[in-house]
Amino acid sequence: MAKTFKGRPVLPGNIEGEALVSKQPFNTTASYFENMFAGNTETAPCTDANNAELTGKDLKGAIMCTPQTVGSTMGAGAIMGMNGIGVGFKAMLFSSHIDSIAAGGVIIDSIWNDRTVVTIDMLGDEFMETVKTGDKIKISEDGTVEVG
Amino acid sequence: MKRREFVKTMPLTALVPAGLAVQTGAALAENAPAAGAPTGQVPAPAISGGSPGTGEVPGFAKYMLTSDMNGLGPDGKPTGQKMTFTGASMADATADAASDQLTLTEEEQAILDGKEGPEKAKLMKILVAFGNAFGAEKLVDLGGAPHSNLFIGAPYMESMIDMLNECADAGLKSYAPYTVNPRPYDVYNVQNNAEEMGLIYQGYPLQAKLDYVHSKLGAPDLNYRSCACYLPEVGNAPESGTYVAWCESSAVNYGNSVLGIRTNRNGAGMDMICAMLGKAPLFGLMTDDGRQAKWLIDVKTSQEPDWGTLGTAIGRKCVEDVPYVAGIDTYFEGGEVTPDNLHKLKAMGSATASSGAVGLYHVEGVTPEPKEKGRDLLVEDYQTYVYDDAEQQRIIDTFENLWEDADGDPTAAFIGCPHNTYHEVVKWGKLVTEALVKAGQEQAAIPVYLFCVNKVRDRLLMEETELAGNMFRAGMHATNMCAVVYSGMKGFGGRVRGITNSAKTRSYSSIRYFPDQILVNTIVTGKIKA
Repeated sequence: MAKTFKGRPVLPGNIEGEALVSKQPFNTTASYFENMFAGNTETAPCTDANNAELTGKDLKGAIMCTPQTVGSTMGAGAIMGMNGIGVGFKAMLFSSHIDSIAAGGVIIDSIWNDRTVVTIDMLGDEFMETVKTGDKIKISEDGTVEVG
Repeated sequence: MKRREFVKTMPLTALVPAGLAVQTGAALAENAPAAGAPTGQVPAPAISGGSPGTGEVPGFAKYMLTSDMNGLGPDGKPTGQKMTFTGASMADATADAASDQLTLTEEEQAILDGKEGPEKAKLMKILVAFGNAFGAEKLVDLGGAPHSNLFIGAPYMESMIDMLNECADAGLKSYAPYTVNPRPYDVYNVQNNAEEMGLIYQGYPLQAKLDYVHSKLGAPDLNYRSCACYLPEVGNAPESGTYVAWCESSAVNYGNSVLGIRTNRNGAGMDMICAMLGKAPLFGLMTDDGRQAKWLIDVKTSQEPDWGTLGTAIGRKCVEDVPYVAGIDTYFEGGEVTPDNLHKLKAMGSATASSGAVGLYHVEGVTPEPKEKGRDLLVEDYQTYVYDDAEQQRIIDTFENLWEDADGDPTAAFIGCPHNTYHEVVKWGKLVTEALVKAGQEQAAIPVYLFCVNKVRDRLLMEETELAGNMFRAGMHATNMCAVVYSGMKGFGGRVRGITNSAKTRSYSSIRYFPDQILVNTIVTGKIKA
């Protein structure tokens, strides 16, 4: 049975897809080494060895569900760069308040390059306790997220 | 499986740029393993999703991943950190309470409406959205000069560089000439062999494009490139109370704390957007509330503390919160920060920002705000952390030996990250050359890289000519690049066993941290003797 959560639409949109979950904060820069520095422009295998849920999984086009992002300040540029080569996220769903790394990347790219990663934050701790990789996700532009 | 077993070197011709002036996560909060702690819990890769990727961590990246950014506690479980990396804790924020409340002046609205061109309108739209995301109520005019940490010309930065070029082509410039972090490499002063030169030019193909756009937007020539933009030789030290929008974690917390300027810890790119508009959203560390301290750090060491270790301890404990540090005013004569002692706060502060995400620290009796407000800067329910000799030793004991050949002898010394002050360059020059004379040697046993802005090197040549010559003959090389990024170069960990006086460099590389006197002895003898 679907469960509904209400967050804040930082970058609103109506989309559906499958969840890719990182219960620990998503380390942007550490996750995209292969794309950032090794020339992979086709897929986005997660290179963060410290992220047991994601290591090796393809991040391309995913609906990322995570508390927040962490890592180098260059993460904002990485988010823009991944969108630029077509391997960015379809959506980012945060249980906590958005951090400056993710906010910088998604907002700049959405407005400057018209490449919008639908972004909802403050979905609450229960969202992270509920959502699992592979769950059906339905996002509405008012910030409502339906899981399952 | 241990990290070293897990990680395999990929056949890549890339560098690690790592703008690792990092916003680290709370994982290291005292609840987490030390930087570079053994990683036996690193899982085997679970390759899925149809990726043709290997799922393996590139060999050149492994030490970056030992930094404390992973959000895990000592039990391997998420710590539940809730930071914004702006210094503005939003731990209790809820969607219900959030609102877009930023109001614009007529002038700002006109920019948003496109009266000053489409590029500036888009920049304003970005700034408004960013400000609303963090609850800012208004924009403020910026003063002084910006500082940017967009300094890495790696391929992934192309979108960001293209945006800056479009702005420059539209005639936009920074509201004032600005400073930029040092380049990620130095093809002149560090002994780059043919292979290293190849890695540099293959890894940073956009460096010239990035340098060029900075010059178009108002940055001076590369002789001023430095992470320590506030040094007198560089001159970017706005007056206390000035609003700016800086990037570079070590500059941000030095500026906020010692200069008394008001800036958030901005993510890369936001610095230049604010610079081109001359405005920033007012929230977090730019506000009085955001500058209140949640921790009292009670320093009780029997002697002058090891500044990098103290900063590491504070960063791990406070993570993003503002600390109020007491007990170290005695190490600043008359309570004054001068060109001859500012390196102490530079070392401590940069470590708080690399082992944690501290954007502002207050030092009782020394930095401007405690001089004015004293302990009124502490919030009512502040916590206390006592840092004594035992605690200092406990922190030092967490600094693991990450050399691939752990028993090998050191091969190079990396002195100064953030960039050395003039005082430090002279101090290190005298320490090493005098020790060499005493030992009856002309040359150091290992090369010494002194990281500093060219203007500091130039001053040394003019004011300490004989010393500069002796230093050069001894094998001490002044270099204006970024130590952290250089140490991330592919294969660095395998071919270099570095030693450093920088707790920040230690955080993000395999380079080992030692107190000054041990470093001097090691530089002379080539052997580490505690």
